[in-house]
Amino acid sequence: MSRMVFVLIVVAIAAGVIALTPARSVHADEEASPIYGVKIPAGYRDWRLIAVKQLHFAGMGEQLRAQVGNDIAIKAFKEGTRPFPDGAIIAAMHWTRVPSEDNDKVLDVPFPGTHSFVIGSPVNVQIMVKDSKKYAATGGWGFADFKDGKPGDTALHQTCFPCHAPAKDRDFVFTNYAPAP
Amino acid sequence: MKPIAFLLIAVATLAGIVTFTAAVSGHTDENAAPIYGVTIPAGYRDWKLISVARVGAPLNDLRAKLGNDIAIKAYRDRKVPFPDGTIIARLAWQQVTSETIKNAFRVRGGTETHLSPEQVEKLVDGSFVAGPPTNVQFMVKDSTKYASTGGWGFAQFNDGKPADEATHKTCFACHEPAKDSDFVFTRYAP
Repeated sequence: MSRMVFVLIVVAIAAGVIALTPARSVHADEEASPIYGVKIPAGYRDWRLIAVKQLHFAGMGEQLRAQVGNDIAIKAFKEGTRPFPDGAIIAAMHWTRVPSEDNDKVLDVPFPGTHSFVIGSPVNVQIMVKDSKKYAATGGWGFADFKDGKPGDTALHQTCFPCHAPAKDRDFVFTNYAPAP
Repeated sequence: MKPIAFLLIAVATLAGIVTFTAAVSGHTDENAAPIYGVTIPAGYRDWKLISVARVGAPLNDLRAKLGNDIAIKAYRDRKVPFPDGTIIARLAWQQVTSETIKNAFRVRGGTETHLSPEQVEKLVDGSFVAGPPTNVQFMVKDSTKYASTGGWGFAQFNDGKPADEATHKTCFACHEPAKDSDFVFTRYAP
């Protein structure tokens, strides 16, 4: 490698590090969830899909939901590892559900009378972070609920762990990995 | 660059090409969709999420749309028509009820909310998770190869086997109403 090329590479790396540093320090100012101190993990929207579901809330209609996981979480799901290893993060994205007339028109040909639904607008994103030491009192999980990028209040976060307690025999995680069709 | 380093990179690259070629030629015709010749793209289950949906009776399924990197970039950049190389996967699962989730609602309904037992049961009845997979469909963009069908090749696989020719004849006709969005129904979920 010529010396000139080497110098160029070093300069490029240095520029990258400098460019990255201010971006990170911006994230450090973002709000963390009460009780657990969990922040929105960078890039979670690009994580791999665990599963999807629909939830019906009395008086509030239905939500469509997708759960995604970081690499540690996905590996554990695929291999059936329980409890999840430290570092696993699961993000549950929730949207309102709306009817899709466009889809209904199309589906009406092969399946007359079909009603189909797509997502409306984002409701919130919930994060579970595994750290068996830091969160020993809550099954090793730290919880967070963000709406429009802002964490919910302490009262809301006090409900996280009791709600997940019924899933104790599966490490407090409700979602099963949806197999490839 | 040292000659040895160059040689190592060259060998690694060659090995990659050989492996890739073997993988591609491993797909025989019986694994390809009729009309379009689309095969199941390797690793599609690990692609990024575009959006989710649900279809009611008689299908009663939950769906997820995933895209390869070209598809995801096009969605974010709002690039229509989608560029060649785009692949969109539509996964579907039977909707099933989850006893674990039902119990969670019952606990929460009884102790932390003001919901009546009837409201909790109603809530539970409208909640579903992804059960057994039903089928997977793909749209592959190749504006030259698939010029007569909007630039898209279509495929449906049930249990890893392509559906018949009659099924595949319906693909494009069904997608035509979405011509303004390059024959793609799904929008990217924010």
